Amino acid sequence: MSRAGTLLAQIGIVAGFFLFWEAAVQTGVANARIVPPPSLVLPRAFAMLGDPIVLYHLWITSAQVLLAFILVAPIGVAIGLLLGESDYFGRAFKPFFYFVASVPKSVFLPVFILAFGIGFTQKVAFGMFQAIFVLVISAIAAAESVSSDFVKMARAYGATRRQLYVDIYLPAMLPVVVEGLRLGMIFNITGVLFAEMYVSRAGLGHLVSNWGMRFEMVNLFAGILLAAVLSIAVNETLRWYENRVGAWRG
Amino acid sequence: MARLSVVGADRDTASVGADLRVESVTHVFETAGGSLMALKDVSFAVEAGTFVGLVGPSGCGKSSLLLMMAGLLQPSEGQIAVGGNIINEPKPEEIGVVFQELSLLPWKTARENVEFPLYLRGVDRLMREKAALEMLDLVGLGDFADRRPHELSGGMKQRVAIARGFCQDPEILLMDEPFAALDEQTRMTLGDELLHIWDRHKKTVVFVTHSLTEAVYLCDKVIVMSARPGRILKEINIALPRPRTYEMMATETFGRLRADIWSLIRGSDRK
Repeated sequence: MSRAGTLLAQIGIVAGFFLFWEAAVQTGVANARIVPPPSLVLPRAFAMLGDPIVLYHLWITSAQVLLAFILVAPIGVAIGLLLGESDYFGRAFKPFFYFVASVPKSVFLPVFILAFGIGFTQKVAFGMFQAIFVLVISAIAAAESVSSDFVKMARAYGATRRQLYVDIYLPAMLPVVVEGLRLGMIFNITGVLFAEMYVSRAGLGHLVSNWGMRFEMVNLFAGILLAAVLSIAVNETLRWYENRVGAWRG
Repeated sequence: MARLSVVGADRDTASVGADLRVESVTHVFETAGGSLMALKDVSFAVEAGTFVGLVGPSGCGKSSLLLMMAGLLQPSEGQIAVGGNIINEPKPEEIGVVFQELSLLPWKTARENVEFPLYLRGVDRLMREKAALEMLDLVGLGDFADRRPHELSGGMKQRVAIARGFCQDPEILLMDEPFAALDEQTRMTLGDELLHIWDRHKKTVVFVTHSLTEAVYLCDKVIVMSARPGRILKEINIALPRPRTYEMMATETFGRLRADIWSLIRGSDRK
């Protein structure tokens, strides 16, 4: 299929999804009180983008997500590279990260509330906590993915330690690291929204949670739609970058 | 082209590369299960400008020996010297290495890979580009300079690796089973091309290989090693004229040399 054809089919699938949703509500297959039709939800979602109150909450959530990411990304990647590179630290600490990574992080939320309160700081801390394990594990994988053939070759040609890092390790690891950043971002967004929904005074999660409890279904679905579109946009941006730095993976 | 009837004879050793001497090299690996002797009292000399093969059963330490010549591994005992200087670290200006195609950097183009050793040495960009393009032309890949390794065939990638070894113009070239991953026809073709380049550039070449046919076809002298711990069983002079041609493979001399090497290796494996 041509590129244009593929794009057309993809647009068709999205349009078909909304048409199916509309039809299901209009024919009574779906209960309109629980699932409002897209003919109500879509205009509401657009209207929200011009609503200063919604924008304020969106801004709070975005700020928390961004700050958490900026803080956790270098820490997670640095720990991962250290564990992947050093035999000693790797043997000692890797199992710890693998074990804890498999524990659902949401059970720790009450601890974060006791430690950080219910404000901005707690959301950032919980987002970081959600993201750090996948960041560390993918950075370990990135460090371990550097072929010893490359290192041996570069050393034989007289590479200095700095050249080894800049010209071999960095470009070889970059695509895997960026992939890890993308996954870390997904966990980070999940963590921030989840913490907002649990207890908070601001943020998109706070709004969505309140709309749900007050049975404002059109608002609730419009909010879900906004959250989905934002996450997809962030994810696809990082994926685009990942493909760009990893084009050589063929 | 100079035609060599006898190994190393009538060559002016001062102008063609450098002598390489392996002197009483013993190597012991420390492993979790205790120490393992990989090489035992290995000595031989490679005369300047000659093409010398290193063959032996798997695990005989020939690749370790090559790493030592490259300065990447220190022998437990003994030493390796080039032109009288002991090798204790990589000396890329004097000693080049051709690795298998897997050592090509996949994020760099063919040209960038070939000029990589020059880049590491801080050679000016225009100069190293020119040198790389010349080498790529020489191995028949002038039109593929801007391709990345994943866009090249196995044989083409190995040509790039060879071009990279020659690009920095070292006096000694070490080759670690460079053709091992290639099919028979490609490796024969590349072997011929390698001889052609070698004839023009007059390097000292040490060539590690599994293929006995390849060893006899390419080399002036084949050093046969035993199974672990690796020792020198015999140095066999390949008294075939140069340039080498395919027809020589059908000759009695070629067959006898190949059989001699095989019987040595087989004998050492049985012990």
